[in-house]
Amino acid sequence: MHTLEPELRALHAEGVIDDATASRALARDRGEVFSLHQELRATMYAGVLLVMAGLGLVLGRNLERIGPLAIVLVIALAAAACGVPALRAKRAGRVLTVAGDYLLLLAVLLASTDLAYAERQFTLLGPLWSWHLLLLAVVHAAIAYTFASPLVLAASLTSLAGWFGVGGMLGDALHLSYSTPMLGARALACATAIAAWRYVDHRARPDTPFSNVFDHYAANLAFWGAIAWCLEWPWLATGLPLLAALAYASVRRGLDTGREAFLVYGIVYAAIGTSAAIVPRLHGMTVSLGFVLIVVCAAAVTLWQLRRRLREPSP
Amino acid sequence: MSRWRPSPDEERWLEVASELGAAIPRAAVIERTGGWRSTGPLARIALFCLGFVATALLFGILGFGNETTLLVAGLVAVLAAEWLTVAKRLHASGIEEGLCVAGFLLIGAWITTLIAPRSGYAVGTVETLVLIVAAGAAGLRRLNPLVTTCAVLAFVYWAGSTAAAHAIDQMIGGVVTAVTAGFALAALALALGATEYRRPSHDRMLDWLVATLPVVAYAQHATADAYAVLRSPGDGMSRLATAVLLLTLGAAMLFTGLRRRRHAPLLGFMGCVACLAVELRHVITLATETWLILYGLAALIVGVALDRYLRQPRNGLTSVAPTHREGPLDVLQTAGAAVLAQRTAPEPLPAESAVTPGEGRFGGGGATGSY
Repeated sequence: MHTLEPELRALHAEGVIDDATASRALARDRGEVFSLHQELRATMYAGVLLVMAGLGLVLGRNLERIGPLAIVLVIALAAAACGVPALRAKRAGRVLTVAGDYLLLLAVLLASTDLAYAERQFTLLGPLWSWHLLLLAVVHAAIAYTFASPLVLAASLTSLAGWFGVGGMLGDALHLSYSTPMLGARALACATAIAAWRYVDHRARPDTPFSNVFDHYAANLAFWGAIAWCLEWPWLATGLPLLAALAYASVRRGLDTGREAFLVYGIVYAAIGTSAAIVPRLHGMTVSLGFVLIVVCAAAVTLWQLRRRLREPSP
Repeated sequence: MSRWRPSPDEERWLEVASELGAAIPRAAVIERTGGWRSTGPLARIALFCLGFVATALLFGILGFGNETTLLVAGLVAVLAAEWLTVAKRLHASGIEEGLCVAGFLLIGAWITTLIAPRSGYAVGTVETLVLIVAAGAAGLRRLNPLVTTCAVLAFVYWAGSTAAAHAIDQMIGGVVTAVTAGFALAALALALGATEYRRPSHDRMLDWLVATLPVVAYAQHATADAYAVLRSPGDGMSRLATAVLLLTLGAAMLFTGLRRRRHAPLLGFMGCVACLAVELRHVITLATETWLILYGLAALIVGVALDRYLRQPRNGLTSVAPTHREGPLDVLQTAGAAVLAQRTAPEPLPAESAVTPGEGRFGGGGATGSY
């Protein structure tokens, strides 16, 4: 164990930190206030993950025994049951707790699975099957706004990205067996849509709790799109300037809001994109590795310097 | 005042600065930290990776043909890390840690080339032990809890794979040597955690061990046990011993975590519960999907109950977030929700080549069960 009490007391005595900051920090240090928030998050996430994994197996293995209609109904009931705590909190005017938020996420995921399963079994939308992802994105967004749940908003944005044809991983945007520039365009279109949505949301509700989620999705998708464009000529001519602009915007955003993640995005994605654009045009392994080494060193120095300028908000 | 690493007092002030963020003026920190400079968690992770990649690239540039390049690349990386420490006074900032760890590993790899006869990097060999020692030394040099923990975890795994451990297992009649060693180390780290340390990093090294050792030791036991059961079915004593060890260690961790108000023992306790759940699965015959859903529901019920109980703080315990500052775990949570949402999406209809907006797809098992 270690305690920082002497240091905190010294700072308080010298007037470097105010009474409120000192008392909060001392209470945390002594364990007088001890939050189990992270442990609860981990437990609830594990619960949702296990239930969804189990459900996936049930759908695969017991289809003929139970029947598609019964499965659809049971999952719908389970989804409705999981949404009850959030509904009760809403009616009582309480803020959604971490457990309620995760149960609502489970409800939404169950509903997604149900809809996806029904779509596959009964081919409700026929050749337009992928439009059900947009439907999911809209429904999830409505639920996220109703209950002020950033987790459900993340599910909605994932569905939206799916509808645009962009998966949730960097590799999906750079899938070489598909047309990479086209995938890049779709990632950029999705990022633009999310950025526009964020703008409207922020204008309508200046104290919105969703800005962080929007920012992370928009930034990552935009960078993936720009990097995908950096891989192929003539898209490279647009991809590189776009990557530079995005990196600048991301770093600017990080410095303005004190959020380290955006500095990291700006620098690391810029390094990946630059290497991806230039290395295929170099001849010889030593030259290529040497170039990447220079880029990596430059990225490290830049990130370090920018991080020194960042002022994080108070706890 | 040392040039090679911050003194305990300087490290404590760095910790205070990290805890208080912008609430404390930067000038007030600089004079107390002896000029040592650190960075935030996300930048530290990124810089660690960049340092590690830079060393790997350097090794690639020097060439793979000669074993001496391992030593040269390793030394260059370690010297660069030391230069950053001494000249730029960087501590726990990622870049010097990545360079140092990669450098030590390369030097370790070069030392293994001197060992004869060579038996490769299979588990349980001297070569692997040399690499583990190299990683541990780098972790201790940099006071990095992640690296020291990885080295200890690898050591437990290595010890469980040696011929001596197999011989003891055969003598006892069950695969329990590695898991017992892992649990004993976790219990030792838990006991040592009661001592007050001047350096926060020493405390954190013990914390990481407490949180991770039970799960890793059990994971090795569970995978090894699967093969042992195939060879000698009906090995009930091994299972019983493991369950008792998990119960005892878990109870000790829960008690200690609540008493000391520390997160690491509570995370260790959660790991013990998860391992116990897997162990129970071998006793109770249930279909995989049934136990997945049952355990998932159990986790959700416990989470909801705890959340309700701690909505109002009780004896200082609360379920409310301690800070509104966005941290790495918040980013991780958003990414986790995205991964879960992606898994519930339908599998694509076959054979599509055209890619236009509105015809998106991504694979997922939720709808089809075809993981």
